[in-house]
Order: sequence, then structure tokens, then C-alpha cells
Amino acid sequence: MSAGTKQRVTIPVSGMHCAACVTKVEKALEDVAGVSKAQANLAAANAGLVCDVEQLSLPQVEEAVRDIGYQVPWERLELLVLGMMGSHCQEIIERAVGALPGVVRVSVTPATDSATVEFAGSLTSAAQIKRTIRELGYQVSDKGTGDSALDQERHARQSEIRAQLINLAWATPLGLVIMIGTFRGYWILADFLPAFLGNKYFLFALTTPVVAGPARQFFVHSWNGLRRGLTDMNLLYATGIGAAYTIAVINTFWPDAGFGGRDATFYESAALLTWFIVLGRYLEALTRGRTSEAIRKLMRLQPKIARVLRDGREEEIPADEVEVGDICLVRPGESIPVDGTVLEGYSAVDESMITGESLPVEKQTGDTVIGGTINKTGAFRFRATQVGRETALAQIIRLVEDAQATKAPIQKLADTVAGHFILGVHALALAVFLFWFFAGFGLWFESGSRLIMSPYRLTEVGVFGFALLMSVAVLIISCPCAVGLATPAAIMGGSGIGAEHGILFKGADAIEATSKLQTIIFDKTGTLTKGEPSVTDVIALDGARDEVLRLAAVVDKNSEHPLGEAIVRGARERGLTVADAESFNAIPGHGVEAAHEGRALLLGNRKLLADRTIELGALAGEAERLEHEGKTAMFLAVDGRAAGIVAVADTLKPSTARAVQELRRMAIEVVMITGDNRRTAEAIARQLGIDRVLAEVLPQDKAVEVKRLQAEGRRVAMVGDGINDAPALAQADVGIAMGAGTDVAKETGQVILVKDDLLDVVAAVQTAKFTMRRVRQNLTWAFGYNTLTIPIAAGLLYPFIHQVVSPELAAMLMALSSLSVTLNSIAMRGWRPRIRRGGGPAVPEQPIAAERLPAPAGGSS
Amino acid sequence: MPTTHRAAIISATIYVGVSLGAASTFLLITVLTGDYGWVPRLGGAVWVFVLSMIILMPVVIPRVKKGVANPPRAVRN
Repeated sequence: MSAGTKQRVTIPVSGMHCAACVTKVEKALEDVAGVSKAQANLAAANAGLVCDVEQLSLPQVEEAVRDIGYQVPWERLELLVLGMMGSHCQEIIERAVGALPGVVRVSVTPATDSATVEFAGSLTSAAQIKRTIRELGYQVSDKGTGDSALDQERHARQSEIRAQLINLAWATPLGLVIMIGTFRGYWILADFLPAFLGNKYFLFALTTPVVAGPARQFFVHSWNGLRRGLTDMNLLYATGIGAAYTIAVINTFWPDAGFGGRDATFYESAALLTWFIVLGRYLEALTRGRTSEAIRKLMRLQPKIARVLRDGREEEIPADEVEVGDICLVRPGESIPVDGTVLEGYSAVDESMITGESLPVEKQTGDTVIGGTINKTGAFRFRATQVGRETALAQIIRLVEDAQATKAPIQKLADTVAGHFILGVHALALAVFLFWFFAGFGLWFESGSRLIMSPYRLTEVGVFGFALLMSVAVLIISCPCAVGLATPAAIMGGSGIGAEHGILFKGADAIEATSKLQTIIFDKTGTLTKGEPSVTDVIALDGARDEVLRLAAVVDKNSEHPLGEAIVRGARERGLTVADAESFNAIPGHGVEAAHEGRALLLGNRKLLADRTIELGALAGEAERLEHEGKTAMFLAVDGRAAGIVAVADTLKPSTARAVQELRRMAIEVVMITGDNRRTAEAIARQLGIDRVLAEVLPQDKAVEVKRLQAEGRRVAMVGDGINDAPALAQADVGIAMGAGTDVAKETGQVILVKDDLLDVVAAVQTAKFTMRRVRQNLTWAFGYNTLTIPIAAGLLYPFIHQVVSPELAAMLMALSSLSVTLNSIAMRGWRPRIRRGGGPAVPEQPIAAERLPAPAGGSS
Repeated sequence: MPTTHRAAIISATIYVGVSLGAASTFLLITVLTGDYGWVPRLGGAVWVFVLSMIILMPVVIPRVKKGVANPPRAVRN
């Protein structure tokens, strides 16, 4: 790649907790040389960089992220390298591997024959690293302890869970004792709790380790951010906990300082605030990983071992070392290691994990097999055609990961709001402090006011203590964690559901756009229909229909036109013998003439018969009827007299009618685009109940038609085969490419359907709508929580109820809001698109009109 | 002086200066307008200073960084 070329690179980032963290990471990454744009994703725990790879230094990227308190869990490879003779070999390997794009650090130890490589999986692969070492002349194999992206992600999450669990184990008993001690003077507790528990110095001794231990992370992270001009919710926690603790210390050691006196020590606030935040983080870390279960499932599918034939011997090698052209052997029950073409054998393969197809698919010589699918019954051999990062499974994983690393437009708004939120909240906290200090306290304060969820009455609190309390409550209650999680958590769930059903959304914006579709345009041939015409009617003037079909097939036997081939195939399917004609002459645009068994045969359109002055008689009416039904009628004349008609039509796919019905039920306008003449096209549309027909459209004009519909103000999707329809797919708001098979990454369009099944178009729309419904629910909950609780914390209700939100109540509400958003997203698991929940009878195959084609040998369009 | 160091000093001067100004203004108002003790006056001034710093640091630092990295060019007539 030349210098200056922009490339998208995804790096793992762990430790982010809210939208403010996302903004902080993005800003830090955008400061790194070579990075022009950074997009962090909270739920996927990664960041996408648009960067100049030549200029990009991954250690600098890592340093920038670590500096602000987050981690970069690179993929890690532990290798056994044999053949090293000393430090020179070490240097060669380190230099060669270190020069690979994406390698962050490499360490070779000749004494133990080992090498450790950390790398960015989006830029290089374990196979490429091993190949590089092998090419240097060393033997290399996995030590078995290497960490894939999946392992790294799991390790990073587990270490976060462990860290928060330790914090929780630290804060829970101390917090409990502090709370009991604080409440000792109430109810009957004083009768059986020892007095020292309520001693302020004892409470100070217990609270200090909580603030210095589990709460330390908030102070460190917020200071690291502030130094670089970045803020996140750690700052809210730090100021909240710091203020509560400072007041408590002042009231303990200098009770007459006017901060509320010895009875208003907020030790339990500082401790419980820490406890709630740590508990929230622990539960979030525990549950957040589950929203990305789908990608984990896909990664788990990646086979580890392949059996290949090398030098005539069967060898077991790591699956990522299979090369294109290798012959692989697969036994019943085994995973297929890479993509390939069956050479020998017969079996049924379970492809449900890739395509969503529930029934095993039969495979025989010449068929394509997909790596990661499971062989069920027989054994077979196949030739590897796509390996390593090129396999369908690897491409799907990359697509889903990329999709999860992108942001939906709705999320960008949420992130912007949340990014500015922290500053806004601090400004609000300052305003609240000034208001209650200079005006509110004098106007409304009543001694004896209560703190909700706290034993205190604010009898001794002064103007500063009261205003500070209001200000701190605003800081704590306003954390935008829920806002930051709302969209990415649901998008991860939605893209995962899609992947499970063979529907790949190329980004969060694709999900959002698909959910808003008003019109879906289907290309007729190959999309609504099988694209393969077949004989539907045979009419004979003398009643000998088989003879008419046989003679028509004889005429067309040498034709390469699809309609001609359909007639020959139709005759053979009916058991007729199709002999060779003695002579054959194609009349371009009209038909074909031939001689057979001493008879002159003519097969073609009306014009051909008119040119030869052959009377159609009763056949004229029949032909009109057939054409009205959307079929192509071809006339057969024998020895200068009309003998019959053979009608040919394309065949609808089995799922077409149901898909169209379902889309219409969802109030989506269905449009068919075709090169057919209008009468034929409308006949098909009538059969399917299609709303609008765009007929006689040349392939190159399809994009123009899409544009025209968009100009009507409609949000339009185009469904096509992804290659021929590329311009129209690109023009549409959402391009849906069908039947990608093993080439998912090559397809144009924002939505890629692995299977060639129209019901997946419906499933894609249903999945997108469901996902965006969850996004909206999450955002409503997250913003609703802040909208409702901030004014209460700021003391809006105080003049009426004389109660103040205590810091610990604020912390509990904050933790609950982000937990509810995460749980709402986890609840997406197990959901299936309505169209895929069974029910709905299969619609039998229906013949329809053939595409408008240049007149075949004997065509009659 | 390296650009980053220069940017850090300029921004620190701005946010500390403005925050001190805000805290002093707070102090002055409490002295002039109300019957406040010295604890609320000083405590309040410290809190105003802390919050002002927190609000100003993320606003000032990136702008100064940008300004130092891309100084406006002199226009020649």
C-alpha cells in the first residue's frame, strides 16, 4: 500500500464504561500520528481507526489508550520455534516478524525455542506470522497457549470482572459496617450494637481504605483524563465521593467548622457511593460480554485442525495453515476446516450456523462447502479454495465486527450529548450550588429536612453544607453510562441475531436505514424468479401436444438461447427423444427454421409466421391469452401450416409470494423492476400482489429508477444479486445483495444475505426494526432517567417536600439505569424474526413470464 | 520550548487564572452581600474553584493545543 492511503483498522479497547469514555478514547486516538478518524464502540470494546497504515505506530496507539486509563488487549501468539542457533536467529526473526503490518511487539527466546508475538488481528493473522517464520527456514508450531482475539477479549473482560470483584469484596464488608455504625443511634440498634461502631473516628478508619482502595480508580482515571483536557464519568464519581468524604473528615475532626457538625458525617455516603458504582461496573462487565455472544459463537466455529493429503499421506495440521489447492479430508461429525469444492464423496452438511438454513444441505462432487460448517453423514474430499482470512466464516466475522464497531446516526447524537454531558453536569452542579448558596437556602431551608435513604436530619447543616449536598447529588445522579450503552448494546444484539440467520449488516447505519425502509425494489430475474425459464403450456391444433413439443425441441436442439434450452429441457423431462435436425437456420430476432424427417419446421414469433404468410387461425387467440398471463408464446409451423404453440415462462422462487405478502403486511411498498414488456411484467405483478411495476428498464437504467423513487421522498432498498445490480444497489438507501455464499465481503450493498432466499429480506427488515425498537427503548430509559432525576437532585421538589436526594440514593439510581439498559439488550437473545418462527405455508412454485429477451431461436416476444 | 509543553503552560495559566477569578468573585460577593461565616465563604470559594477548573480544563486544553499547533498566519498587505 502506498503511503497516504487510508485504511480502516480495528483495535481492541477494554475498560470503557460509558459514552464519555468513548469520546475520551476517540479524542486520544485522533491525537496519534497517522490517525485521521477514530470511532470507539463501548459494547464491542473496540475502536475503528481510519488511518494511514504506513504512518501508524501501534505502540503509540497503545500508549495513547493506556495513558487515559484503558487497555488494549492485542491478540497474542505463543510459538515454538525450532532451528534457532543463537542471538542472530533471534534478531532475524524479530526483525522479519516485527516488519509485518499489525505486529505490535515480538519477543524471541532462543534458550526456550519460543516466540511471543502481540498483534492487531485486523491487520495480520497468526497464519501469516507463522508463514513468515517458516519462510526464514525455521520450524514453527503453536505452543497451545496462544490467545486469539476471542481469548483476549475474554481475558480482558475476565480481568475487569476480577478487578471489580476484588473491589466489591473490599467495599462490601466495610460499607456494611459503616452503614450499621451510621445507623447505630436509630431505632433499637443502640441496645445491642457496641458503641464503638458509631464512633466517628472508627468510621473514618473504615471509610478511608474504601476511598483509597476501590474508589482510587475514579480519581486516577479522571485526573489522567483532565490532564489531557478529557472528561468522563469517573470525574463525576471522583468529585461526588471526594466531596462526601472531605465533608465527613472535616465534620469529624473540626465539628464546629459549619459543615453540619459531628452528626452530619457522610462516611456512609462515600462508602455506599463507591459500593454502588463498583457493583454497577461489576454487573455491567458480567453482562456486557453476553450481548456479543453471537460473534463469540461465530468465532468458536473456526475449526482448529484440518486433515490434508500431502505427498499422498494424510496429515493433521492447524486449520489456519491449509493452503489454497490443498486436498482436505472430512469424516462424519467433523468440522469443515476451510472453504472448498467437493472432489469426491457424498454427504449432508449442517450449514445452519452460517446460512441460517435449518436442514442439512446435500453435498456431492462439484458442490461448494463452507469452512466452519459441520459434516453430518458421509465422508468426502474437497479442494481448498479460500483459506485463512478469505474464508466465508472469517469474512462474516470481520463484517459483523466492523458493523459492531460502527455507529448508527442515532448513536452519534447520543454520544455527542453524552460527551458534552459531563461538562454540562459540572456547570449545572456549579449553578445549583450558587443558587442554593445565595438564594434557595435562605428562602426554603427548614431544619429537620430529611435525606432520602439516609438517617440524617439536616438540623446542623449550614448554607455551604446544604448547597454542597445539592451540588454533589446532581453530579452523581447524572452519569450518562446508560446513554452511552443504549445504542451499541442493542446494535450488537441485532447484528448478532442477523448473523445467526445469514443476514449480515455492514454497519449500524445499515440497521438503522433498513428499519426505516418504505419501498423495496426487487429485480425480477434471478431475485423474484429463479431466472431459469421452463415450458408451461403446449397447445396442438390436432391434439398431439407431445409431438408439437418434440418437434419444437428438435428445432431448438442446437440453440443456446435460454428459451430454446428451456424447450429442449421440457421435452426431455417429459420423456421425449430429441433427435438432431438435418438442417438448421437461425433467423435473428424472429426464430429458427429446420428440416427433420423430411418436414420443414418453423419455430418463432408472430412476425416470422406472418412473413411466411402462414395463417395462425385459432392459435392467435390462444397466444394472446398466454401472453396476457405473462408467458412467452412460440408458434410451430410444419410444412407451411401452423401446428401449435409452446409457451415458456420463468419460475417464481418458492418463497417469493410469501415474502411479498409479508412485506406488504408490514406496510412496505413492493416494487418490481424488469426489462420485460409492461404486459408481461404486470401479469407477474398481479400474481404476486406487487404494488408497482417498473417495466422495460434497461439494466444500466436501474439506478436511475431507484433515484426517481428516492426523489419522491421514499426511503428505498434495492434487492439484487450484488454484482449485476451494483450501481442500483449503491444508489439505494439500502442495497440488499442476495445469495452471497462464500463471497460475502465482495458483495456490494449494506445488507448481505448469505442464502438466496427472499424470506431473508423480510427477516432483515424485521431484525432491523426489532433492533431499533430496542435502541429507542434504551435511549428513552436512559435519557428519561436523567431528565427525571436531575431536577429532583437539584432540589426542584425541596420547597414542597423538604427532602433531599442522598448521594447513595443517587448512586443506586445511576447504577440501576445502566443495568436496566444492559439487561434490556441481553433480553434480545433468543429472538427470531417473525418470518423465521415457523408457520406460514410454503408457496408452491409458480410459472410466470420469461424475461424480455432478444428473440430466441423460435422466440415470440 | 516544545509545543506540547508550551500549550500545557498557556492552558494552565488560563484555566487556573479564570478559576481563581471565579473563586475570588464568589468570595467577594459573600463578603459584600450576605451574612456568611468564613467557613461557608472559603468552603464555597474552594468548591467554585474546583468546579470551574473541571469545567475549564477540557474546554481550554484542546483549543490551546490546536492554536499552538496551527498558529494564525500573518496577513501581508
